[in-house]
Amino acid sequence: MKAVKDLLKKREAAVFLLLVVLVLGVGIVNPIFLKPDTLKGVLDNSLILILIATGEMFVLLTAGIDVSLGAVTGLSAVVAGLSLNAGISYGGSILLAVGASLAAGIVNGFGVALLEIPPIIMTLGMMGVLRGLMYIITGGSWIDTIPTGFKNMSGVSFAGISVFAWIVIVMSVVMTAVVKRFKSARIFYYIGDNEEGAFFMGISVKRGLFFAYSLAGLFAGLAGIVFVSRIGFIPMQTGSGQELRAIAACVLGGVSLSGGVGIPLSALIGGLFLTTIDSVLVFLKVPAFWNDAIAGAILLVVVLLDFRFRMLLEVKEKKERLKYIRISRNNETGVVR
Amino acid sequence: MKVKDVAKRWEVIIFLLLILEILLVGIFNSSFLNIRNILYSTTDFAHISLVALPLTLVIITGGIDISIASIMGLTSIVIGSTWSLGAPMPAAIVLGLLSGIAAGTFNGLLVANTDIQPLVITLGTMFLYSGIATGIAGSLGASGYNGIGNFPEGFLSFAYGSVGIIPSSMIYVILFAVFLGLILHRHRLGRSIYLIGVNKEAAGYNGIKVKKVIVIAYTLTGLGSAIAGILLTSYFTSARSDLGSEALLPAITAVVLGGTDILGGSGTVLGTFIAAFFLGVLKQGLMALGVTNNVSQVVIGLVLILAVAAKLGIARYRKMSGNKRISTE
Repeated sequence: MKAVKDLLKKREAAVFLLLVVLVLGVGIVNPIFLKPDTLKGVLDNSLILILIATGEMFVLLTAGIDVSLGAVTGLSAVVAGLSLNAGISYGGSILLAVGASLAAGIVNGFGVALLEIPPIIMTLGMMGVLRGLMYIITGGSWIDTIPTGFKNMSGVSFAGISVFAWIVIVMSVVMTAVVKRFKSARIFYYIGDNEEGAFFMGISVKRGLFFAYSLAGLFAGLAGIVFVSRIGFIPMQTGSGQELRAIAACVLGGVSLSGGVGIPLSALIGGLFLTTIDSVLVFLKVPAFWNDAIAGAILLVVVLLDFRFRMLLEVKEKKERLKYIRISRNNETGVVR
Repeated sequence: MKVKDVAKRWEVIIFLLLILEILLVGIFNSSFLNIRNILYSTTDFAHISLVALPLTLVIITGGIDISIASIMGLTSIVIGSTWSLGAPMPAAIVLGLLSGIAAGTFNGLLVANTDIQPLVITLGTMFLYSGIATGIAGSLGASGYNGIGNFPEGFLSFAYGSVGIIPSSMIYVILFAVFLGLILHRHRLGRSIYLIGVNKEAAGYNGIKVKKVIVIAYTLTGLGSAIAGILLTSYFTSARSDLGSEALLPAITAVVLGGTDILGGSGTVLGTFIAAFFLGVLKQGLMALGVTNNVSQVVIGLVLILAVAAKLGIARYRKMSGNKRISTE
């Protein structure tokens, strides 16, 4: 019983269980859903969201927020597309695209850490700037001439799972291990948990914030590369609204917007969960246009349940504490008598 | 109030910037300096003013509402669907208004009764409301670009009418601004809103009904978004679930540019009103200079960042010069 309770306390584990139940439940209604190809498709579809959510997680850990990541993904995709069409090698194009996204992240980090502009303002402004920039550098037209070789990269698989998926999963697991083991990687947690406390402990809060926003830009850039390879053309809306879905994925996976709580696996599980919901409806023969309503409802239910659960725990802990106080008081009166 | 104090007020600064902006655009494109022209350009951003004004109240309480764009779409679709299912137009409009108000109240209830961040709550409801809107639209086979149309003439005059040279949408904005201004600056409710933003716990201990006030603030934002949704439906002559989907950036920019602290506790309705005007004219002015809508996002984003950076800079400079004065005395 205690093990179950501990598991429920860890949101990522609870949501993972919920995900498994969801997949199996849908599988019972419609067995086609449990076919390896379907599940692999869901995994591949979730990669872009997972990458953006992983970047977002580092910012959320510091109690910040980055609403420019969807636009950063779009910028990365556009830069990659333009460089590929200009005849630059695959590696060079990827470097340029990720470099541009990293630069965008660095600007965010500069504004938040050094100029001390509130994160939502800085990144909201950057969202507008980057979206406009996409139009300026492309002239507002879609890019649909991606070299076939680049598109084929997303089709390469190893042991039945696409290489992109392998990279994302391994990266997520390794990063989770790193943030759990290495003290220098826990800087984001210290800042999010108690910024002043971290400062007095001698942690460079500014450097930590700067790194968090730069990392977020980097991951959004990787998401853009996956987008170009998987989707094969780049509309102007690329990445639009993805920042909010990424935040939703993080929250589902157990990342707290107050900072200090969450692991890279949270982003992975949350992203998988949201993508699964999107794919599940088709298999339940519900029209796909109800996707967002259901995703929103599930997000609300999860955070509300989490809230109720925390309140229950708090009440229980308070009761326990009061019990001890009462006992000790009785003892005191006993001694006096 | 001394002249010096008046000049220090943020609303005055932003108002002067607005006039400077109109003159600057006028230098490059003299046809812009037509008063009728400037007034008519306001129709294009009336929906942003309508949501930014009540959003000011929410942000002063220390909250935020990012579901505003979804509420606009939801209102629009509710009106369109009830109309296309045979309801009379006035009934459809009332239903649309009610759905927007209900959406706002739902936001408020969730924010007031839990300790979950308003951003997370309204993120969830943002997906929920826009999902319901696309769901209804999809069920009626109207999810495409055209949406639900064929509205009666009278409804279309809602956005296109005018009184003298003042377009009707501007009148709605002014009326709503006066109404919210009276609440925020002349009513007890307004004082409570500021107090909650400064210190929620202290406000509670002082006998302010914190939950009630928060619910009212979010409900007013729902109302503003609903009116904006109706206006947009009339303006585009069709109901669509994605109407106003790009309103979030300019709406929050208007509130912050108008001098409201994003962390709560300070701000004015007048500031937001002028700032929304500033942004609207900026967009129109850029268009008059040949900059497209998509590119003007760059300028709006930069304005948002620079406005806040400048405010922070001024505050820091004042603090420093204040310290200097103390140390020299």
